[in-house]
Amino acid sequence: MRGRLMPRRVAWSRLGSLRLAGSGLARGLRPEGRRASGSDLHTLVGAYAMDALPTAQRAAFERHLQRCEQCRDDSSALREATARLAAAAAVPPRPELREQTVRAAALIRQLPPAVADEPARGRAARLASRPASAVRGRPWLAVTASAVVAVLAAALIALGLHLNSMQDRLTATEQRDTVIAAILTAHDATMRTAHVQTGGTATVVMSHHMRALVFTASGLTSLPPSKAYELWLMGPAGDTPAGLLRPGRDGMSGPMVVRKLAPGDELGLTVESAGGSRHPTSALIALVTLD
Amino acid sequence: MRGGDTADGASAHGAVGHGAFGRSGDDATQDGEASSDDLAIALAQVARGDEAAFRAVYDRTAPAVLGIVRRVLRDPAQSEEVMQEVLLEVWRSAARFDPAAGSATAWIMMLAHRRAVDRVRSEQRAAERELRAASMPVAYDEVADAVESSLERERVRRCLDGLTDLQRESVMLAYYGGYTYAEVAGLLGVAVGTVKTRMRDGLIRLRDCLGVG
Repeated sequence: MRGRLMPRRVAWSRLGSLRLAGSGLARGLRPEGRRASGSDLHTLVGAYAMDALPTAQRAAFERHLQRCEQCRDDSSALREATARLAAAAAVPPRPELREQTVRAAALIRQLPPAVADEPARGRAARLASRPASAVRGRPWLAVTASAVVAVLAAALIALGLHLNSMQDRLTATEQRDTVIAAILTAHDATMRTAHVQTGGTATVVMSHHMRALVFTASGLTSLPPSKAYELWLMGPAGDTPAGLLRPGRDGMSGPMVVRKLAPGDELGLTVESAGGSRHPTSALIALVTLD
Repeated sequence: MRGGDTADGASAHGAVGHGAFGRSGDDATQDGEASSDDLAIALAQVARGDEAAFRAVYDRTAPAVLGIVRRVLRDPAQSEEVMQEVLLEVWRSAARFDPAAGSATAWIMMLAHRRAVDRVRSEQRAAERELRAASMPVAYDEVADAVESSLERERVRRCLDGLTDLQRESVMLAYYGGYTYAEVAGLLGVAVGTVKTRMRDGLIRLRDCLGVG
């Protein structure tokens, strides 16, 4: 059986270091693995392979991985085992999710391959460090890949529901689709999330250049039929209704495109009667500064 | 190193309770190899924007992605959303997949599990998680009783049976429960250092039993 393994497995045979000795502990850990940050760090390889390290410690361990080839090999091998645990939990997704996902993918710009002078093994750490380096000294972040993906997934789930129920709105939906894609991929797109006080998270991706934003929310508390969430553009000139939100059964809402943003505008969220209001009539449950 | 490899390997296999290694598992491993290879090829096509290849990758991985995300998040609707995010992340970063660093399946499952865990942490549903913890022993049975029984599932279950109780509980709580090692230590009432080594040793034994890595 071993003889039929693929060539890349050869590298992992070094995992002799991780074979169980009689004591139940790994024996013969290579000194290099220990020297950098102590044997305690190397012990964490199991927890790391199961994403069981607290976030800060994960980052520290990934820095260690960049220096420790043995640790990379070990954690890769253990990831193969955890992948089998995932496979054992497999459940078939609802069929309609497939085309929704493919549709969303078509809107997402793909990353180029890692460039030659960056070791591919440093991939995880490099990606992980990206959001931090994108901070511009204010709460806005340049839109990170996963942010775009998260927003688009939310968007496409909503769009998918829409398409299923209203075929004649297809054109309008497609247009909105294009606008959303344009905002999300704008060169100056930035993202902010805000906690909704009554439950849930609001995500805003905004392009200053286009003076437009895409709003999505997840985990919103469901409302009685007589009520709806309402978005507001709140600026120096007053409050303007920016759209009614009807969360799906899963508390997902949006995507909502808000245009014609003006300097000083903020985006507010309130609960109003189902038909919407001309001015906010209840307390703000989320407020996003847009400057 | 090589000599130690053989000797230690033998003792590890001997320690596996049900002797699953090298029995019915060989064919399954071969299938797994072949499909993992196909998946790597499909990923390379996805990296070039090939939609058909993306559909193939989706078909091959979405069930496991959804499965593991749901084990961690519990909420079915939220899990579907995260499953889609993971597949879209696969689409986006397919060019960054490095075959030398592990299998395509392992890479995708890492994206999936990590995203699920991060989602749980970001929401900090401490109270809810306390409740979950109380009913946690159920988790192991769920593996056995899950909807689609399969050879793979059966094999993983047998390999889990081959772990010590503490190794198995540590692995189950961390991977399926999405808990940090410190939380696992708290749930099991054992020292943090003990949990770290049990997690590592449990995974090593699991890997040897499954014949992967």
